[in-house]
Amino acid sequence: MANAKILIVDDDVDFTEALKVILQSEQYEVISANTREKGMEMLKSEKPDLAILDVMMATWQDGFEMARELKKDPECKDIRLLMLTGVKDKTGIEFKSTAGDPTWCPVDCFLDKPVEPEILLAEINKLLQIKA
Amino acid sequence: MKALSQSVPLIKRAYWLINLRWIAIFFVCAGTFFSSKILVISLQDVILYSIAGLLLVYNTVVLFLLNYYIKKNHVIRRPAVRGVINFQISADLLILTFLIHFSGGIENPFVFYFIFHMIISSILLSVKESYLQATFAVLLFGLMLLLEYKGPILHHCLEGFISNCHQQGGRYIIGFYFAFTTAMYLVVYMANYISTRLKKAEQAHRGANVLLCKKDRIKDEYVLRLTHDIKGHLAAIQSCLDVVNRKLVGPLNTEQADFVKRATERTRKVTNFVKALLRLTRIRLDSKITMEYFSLKDTINSVIDSARRRAQKGSLSLSCNIEPSVDKIYGSQLSIEEMIMNLLLNAIKYTPENGKVSLTATSTDHSVLVEIIDTGIGIPKDELCHVFEEFYRGSNARKIEKDGTGLGLSIASQIVERHDGKIGVESEEGKGTRLWFTLPKDERVSHDSSVETIPEEFEY
Repeated sequence: MANAKILIVDDDVDFTEALKVILQSEQYEVISANTREKGMEMLKSEKPDLAILDVMMATWQDGFEMARELKKDPECKDIRLLMLTGVKDKTGIEFKSTAGDPTWCPVDCFLDKPVEPEILLAEINKLLQIKA
Repeated sequence: MKALSQSVPLIKRAYWLINLRWIAIFFVCAGTFFSSKILVISLQDVILYSIAGLLLVYNTVVLFLLNYYIKKNHVIRRPAVRGVINFQISADLLILTFLIHFSGGIENPFVFYFIFHMIISSILLSVKESYLQATFAVLLFGLMLLLEYKGPILHHCLEGFISNCHQQGGRYIIGFYFAFTTAMYLVVYMANYISTRLKKAEQAHRGANVLLCKKDRIKDEYVLRLTHDIKGHLAAIQSCLDVVNRKLVGPLNTEQADFVKRATERTRKVTNFVKALLRLTRIRLDSKITMEYFSLKDTINSVIDSARRRAQKGSLSLSCNIEPSVDKIYGSQLSIEEMIMNLLLNAIKYTPENGKVSLTATSTDHSVLVEIIDTGIGIPKDELCHVFEEFYRGSNARKIEKDGTGLGLSIASQIVERHDGKIGVESEEGKGTRLWFTLPKDERVSHDSSVETIPEEFEY
């Protein structure tokens, strides 16, 4: 969906910059934050259509806690959430199967880092279509 | 001081004592028969046989009690078993005293056999207890000598063996008794000394083992953290390269595109390597993976379907034969599926064009056997024992795939081990390879349920 607004929340600056360029080439409007606090702030003030959250920033709960907080907020609960993680291989948890669990992991999609740009773009497309 | 060596469980020793007693019963009977009938020495054979009979009954009862106790209890309470062993040894000493009394008393050279009981108590019991048993033996024997000498009990002469038996005067008896007593205590002292040294050595050994396992775990955790961080960096590198690759930040001439492509390829390869290493290390650290009953048949079929395309690319014939009795097994569906996929892709990768790869699955009562046979490049004979080692790559494998991780087979062997199965490989270089593994059909009871891990309750 052209001109949709996407927010990236990830503490890896290089990754964020590269992702920004890739998304912008698909005509998305992209903003970013690299801490959880800044991310929450921007989510509330900018109201993006979709947010890409890194699971682990300061602590490994950050991504999940942000997601839960967002779903509780009536103004933000419609923002599509996509989570990116390198944590799967470390903890061995099959996150994919928990995506959508409303209490623990209320995100709409879960992907592993590193992610092929095609796959990421396809998922984003899918999520934004749902919203539209 | 730990009273018992932990390497031989307490129960095994309880059985050992019972077995020794069977042997003793046999020898009492045989010895009595031989001495009485063949050497024609006067013995109270009837009484001796009766005592042997008593021993037989007593040993049988102890055996049944032990079996019953083990069956009933999953956690063996050490003090209970040791109490029973203590009781048995005291009872044995009492019976031995009676046997000796009815076969010549002080004149029976088999008085020496008290020493065996002292050695047994030093091995099976604590230091304090073995000294107590020694004291009990010494008192019993002393009492027997006293009562025989003073009169109330008849001293049985071994006619045909000793001439003029009542000759032993008080002095001789006291002298004999003194030697007997000191010998008993000395034997207990020495046997305990040796036993303690042995136990200390074993404990040190076990301690070193535990430390080694701990250090291995620390190493694995370190590797996990490290590789995870590395993976993070690789992800960022990959994304940055992707941006340039797709010409999103400007055009690329042919040479630039070429080099960026090389960098991207290498990044992808090292990322796969790190992923495999992470996977292996995580399996090693994870003591529990989610196990459940799943259909092995369906899993194999889905893997074969996925692999077919790869096989067709190399013009290989891929065949699959699953016995109808192979269906549900207990294990981690994800791990097994991944492993079979890995092994199959391996076979396909290392088999030249127009070759054959086949997978068969058969089953026995308790387990299933999966074999993957190919007509590939094989593994050199002297390298066969190394293939499951981490990072090991066959010398001939490099020609086909320069950058394999060498982790595939070690991951497979970890998974199989985790399921209590077995894995193996046969191969002939240039001809082909047969890789097989077995998996139990049902949940195995965990190893650490019973005797082996009794908590150490005694400490002196």
